[in-house]
Amino acid sequence: MNDKEIIPEYHEQVYQPEADTYLLLKAVMAEIRCDDRVIEIGTGSGKIAGEVYKISKNVTATDINPHACRSAAALGPEVIRTDIAAGICSGFDLVIFNPPYLPTGEEEKIDDWLEYALDGGISGRETIEKFAEALPGIMDKNGRCLLLVSSLTGAEKVRDIFSRKKMLSFVILSEKCEDETLYILRIVHDICCDHLYS
Amino acid sequence: MKMSTYEILCCPVCKGDLTLKTDKKEILETGEEDIIEGTLRCESCGVDYPVSEGIPDLLPRDKKGIISG
Repeated sequence: MNDKEIIPEYHEQVYQPEADTYLLLKAVMAEIRCDDRVIEIGTGSGKIAGEVYKISKNVTATDINPHACRSAAALGPEVIRTDIAAGICSGFDLVIFNPPYLPTGEEEKIDDWLEYALDGGISGRETIEKFAEALPGIMDKNGRCLLLVSSLTGAEKVRDIFSRKKMLSFVILSEKCEDETLYILRIVHDICCDHLYS
Repeated sequence: MKMSTYEILCCPVCKGDLTLKTDKKEILETGEEDIIEGTLRCESCGVDYPVSEGIPDLLPRDKKGIISG
């Protein structure tokens, strides 16, 4: 990592960098090319988007949480307040997402902005399913996506979601972390599949 | 919000184009305009989305600006 490490300003309702953030950042730094157009969905503190901004000035970040938007914007990237990528109509070379993935029942919900960073619905995969719907619209034909998933969410079940959308996924990195294992999925369009069906 | 960012935005509901009205802007070192305060209007939905502190807010809302859902 070049230069000084970016430390986002603390806000109690913004998800702060944790082990999952650093694992995803490691994968991003290995993947990124300097001319990539990059988007980070659900940027939270902006830690990853801010580190990417040192390499590629063409970096956009989204979040639904207004406090997260301000935290990320202070680090340099262009920030858009939107749900996943609802207000975006362009393709990117690299799409990054550390989704909320904790399986969460109705009785466990807390009513604040941090909830959006953690709550993955009953299955833990609800936001990932919404993201899989949006991904073809924001990832260029030759684009790549790096997605963090957890053993709590079920890596294989997440891979099934993308394979149903005619995308290929591979586990490129993993790390045991207390009571879960974190995985980084690298997802690309199945171009051969496009060819067969077009 | 840089003008290059404005070009990639759409209405989060109907995916239509947004019309920019600028209230306050700065010129970046690159010569590009950076919108600090303004409005992004979706004509077909009749909804205004604010740009505040340089951040466009594209959460769905009603015509009065009240965020829905």
